[in-house]
Amino acid sequence: MTEPTRPPGTPQSEAAPYTEALLQPEAPPPPLTRAVPHAELKAALLIILLAVLACGSMIYLMYARGAFESTQQLVLVSDDAEGVAVGMDVTFSGFPIGRVSRIELSSEGKARLIVDVTRKDAHWLRTSSIFTLERGIVGGSKLRAFSGILTDPPLKDGETRTLLVGDASAEIPRVLASVKELAENLGNLTASGSSLDTALGNVKSATDRLNGPGGAMGLLVGNDKNAAQLLERTNALLLTVDKLALKTDSLIANADRRVLGKDGLMDDTQATVRQLDGLLADARNSLKKMDAVLVEAQAVGANARVATADLGTLRAEVDSNLRRIEQLVNDINRKWPFARDTEIKLP
Amino acid sequence: MRLMMSTTPPLLHWLNRFQHGVQRWLLNWWYIFRFALLMLTLAVTPASYRRDQRLAIARHVVLASTTNVLWFLLMAALVSLILIRIVVVTALSYGLSQYALEMVVRVLVIELIPLTAALFVALRVTLPDGLEFAQLRASGELAGLEGQGVDIVRHEFLPRVLAGLFSVWLLAAASCVATLLLAYLSIYGFTPWALAGYTRVVGQVFNPAVATILVLKIVFFSFGVALIPMASSYHDGSGAAPASRRRAAHSLADMLRLISVLLLVEVVSLMENYY
Repeated sequence: MTEPTRPPGTPQSEAAPYTEALLQPEAPPPPLTRAVPHAELKAALLIILLAVLACGSMIYLMYARGAFESTQQLVLVSDDAEGVAVGMDVTFSGFPIGRVSRIELSSEGKARLIVDVTRKDAHWLRTSSIFTLERGIVGGSKLRAFSGILTDPPLKDGETRTLLVGDASAEIPRVLASVKELAENLGNLTASGSSLDTALGNVKSATDRLNGPGGAMGLLVGNDKNAAQLLERTNALLLTVDKLALKTDSLIANADRRVLGKDGLMDDTQATVRQLDGLLADARNSLKKMDAVLVEAQAVGANARVATADLGTLRAEVDSNLRRIEQLVNDINRKWPFARDTEIKLP
Repeated sequence: MRLMMSTTPPLLHWLNRFQHGVQRWLLNWWYIFRFALLMLTLAVTPASYRRDQRLAIARHVVLASTTNVLWFLLMAALVSLILIRIVVVTALSYGLSQYALEMVVRVLVIELIPLTAALFVALRVTLPDGLEFAQLRASGELAGLEGQGVDIVRHEFLPRVLAGLFSVWLLAAASCVATLLLAYLSIYGFTPWALAGYTRVVGQVFNPAVATILVLKIVFFSFGVALIPMASSYHDGSGAAPASRRRAAHSLADMLRLISVLLLVEVVSLMENYY
C-alpha cells in the first residue's frame, strides 16, 4: 500500500552488498544492525521457549479448570442462586470435590445448579447427604456438602438434591427489626407516664413513707394516725396475750403436777401396767396348762382313733359271725321245719 | 501574512489552530493505521521470510529479547516479591488470607506484569529504535539506502516490528509464569502439598473469559509497542522544524501515543474483566 517502491531505473545490483551482508551471519552485518552470532539458532530457541511457556500455561490452566477430570453430575435446586457463580467450588470437609458448571432457571422458577463432581471424590456423597449454600457477611458464598452416614448408598450420576440456604446477611434485617422493636419497647417502658415510671414513683413515695414518722407501719396501714392506733391496739393485744401466757403457764404447771406429780396420772398408769404384766403372766401359765391339756386330749384322740380301728375289725368279725349264725339258722330251718307258716300258696 | 495574523480575531485564530491540531492528530493515527496494515500484510506474506530477511528477523528477535528477558525477569521477580508480601501480610492482618492468593494472581499476573512488560520493551527496544530511525531519516541515511534500491520496509522495519511483538509476548509469558511460581513459594514455601489448592484457585481465577482477555491484552500491547514508534519513524521527515527539536518532539509524541494506547487497552481489559 505505502510500501516504498524501488525508484524506476535503479539497477538491481546496487542492493547487492546490503543483501550479501545480511546473508552472512558471521560477516559484518549491514550498517543498521548489530552482529549476532548464531542468530537463527538463538531465535529458534527463543521461539521454542515461548511456545513451551504458552502451551505449558494453557495445559496447566486446562488442568486447573478440571478439563482432564472424569466427573459426574449433581443437580442442586434452590429458590435463589444469588452468590453462586460458575466455577465455584463445592466442598466436603473443607476439601473441594466439585465445581459449579452451569446455572439455569427451571420451569418451576427455581435455580438449578449443575455441579460437576470428580469421580474420585464422588464416593463422599451419599443418598443421605445434604447440601448447603452459606452466604457470609464477608467473602463469597460457599457451597458445602455434608454426609452424616457414610454407609448409605452412594449418590448416583445426575441426581437432584435440594440446596439448603443459610444466609448470615439475611439475618441482619431480622435482627435489626428485633433490636428496633426492643428499643421501642424500652422507650415505651421508660417514657414519662409509663408503667415503669409510675411504679418507680410509687416506690419513691413508699420509701418516703418508710423514712417518715410512721415508718413501715405507716406504709402498711396507709397513714400515721392509723399506724398509731394499730400500735396501741397491738400493745393492748400483747398485754392480753401476756396474761394469757401467764394463765397458760399455771395451767401447764397444774397439768404437770396432776400428770407427772406424786400419785399423778403417770403413777397410776405405771401401777396399772404392772398389774397388767402380772395378769399376762397368769394368762401365760393358763395357756401352758391348756397346752398340756391339749396334749393329753391329743393322746386321747390318738387312742380313740386306734380304738376306732379295732372297732372296725370287731364289727367285721361280728358281721361274719352273724352271717354264719344266720346261715346256721337257715340250715336248721331247712333241715328242721320250724316254719310257722305252712300254707302253700298257689300261683 | 503578519498583517493577516494580527487582524484575525483571537477566537478564529484559536479555532484555526484547533482545526490544524485535530487534522494533524487524525493524520498521525491514519499513518499509524496504514503502517500497521502494511506490517501485518508483510508479516503474513511468505516472501518476507526469505533467508536474508529471516536472518535479519532472527538478529532483531535475539537482540530485543535475550538480555531484556533476563533483566525483566529479575526486575519482575523483585517487584512481585515485594507486592506479594504486602498483599499477603495485609490480607492476613484483616483475616482474609484465603483471598490473598486470588488477589496476587489477579493484580500481578493479569494486570501489572503484562503492562510492565509492554512498557519495558517499549522503553528498551522499540522507542530507541524509532528514535534511531528518525535520526537516520534526518541524516539522510535511510534515503541513501532507499536510493540504493534496498527495501528498508522489509529489511529494517519488519524485523524490528516482529522483534518488538515477540519480545512483548516472551517477556509477558515468562514473567507471568515466574510470578505464579513466586506467589506459590512466597505463600506456601517449598512444599508440594499446597499445589492442589493453589492450582484450584488459579483455575478459578483464569476462567475462559479472563484467560482470553489476558491473551488479547498482551497481543494488543505488543501491537501498540511494536507499531507506534516505528510508524512515526516511517512517516517522519515531513516537518519543517530543526532536526534536534524534531527528534525530541518525535520521541515524546511517540511515547504519549504509546502510553495512551496501552492505557486504552488496559482500561478496556479491566472493563471486560470486572463489568
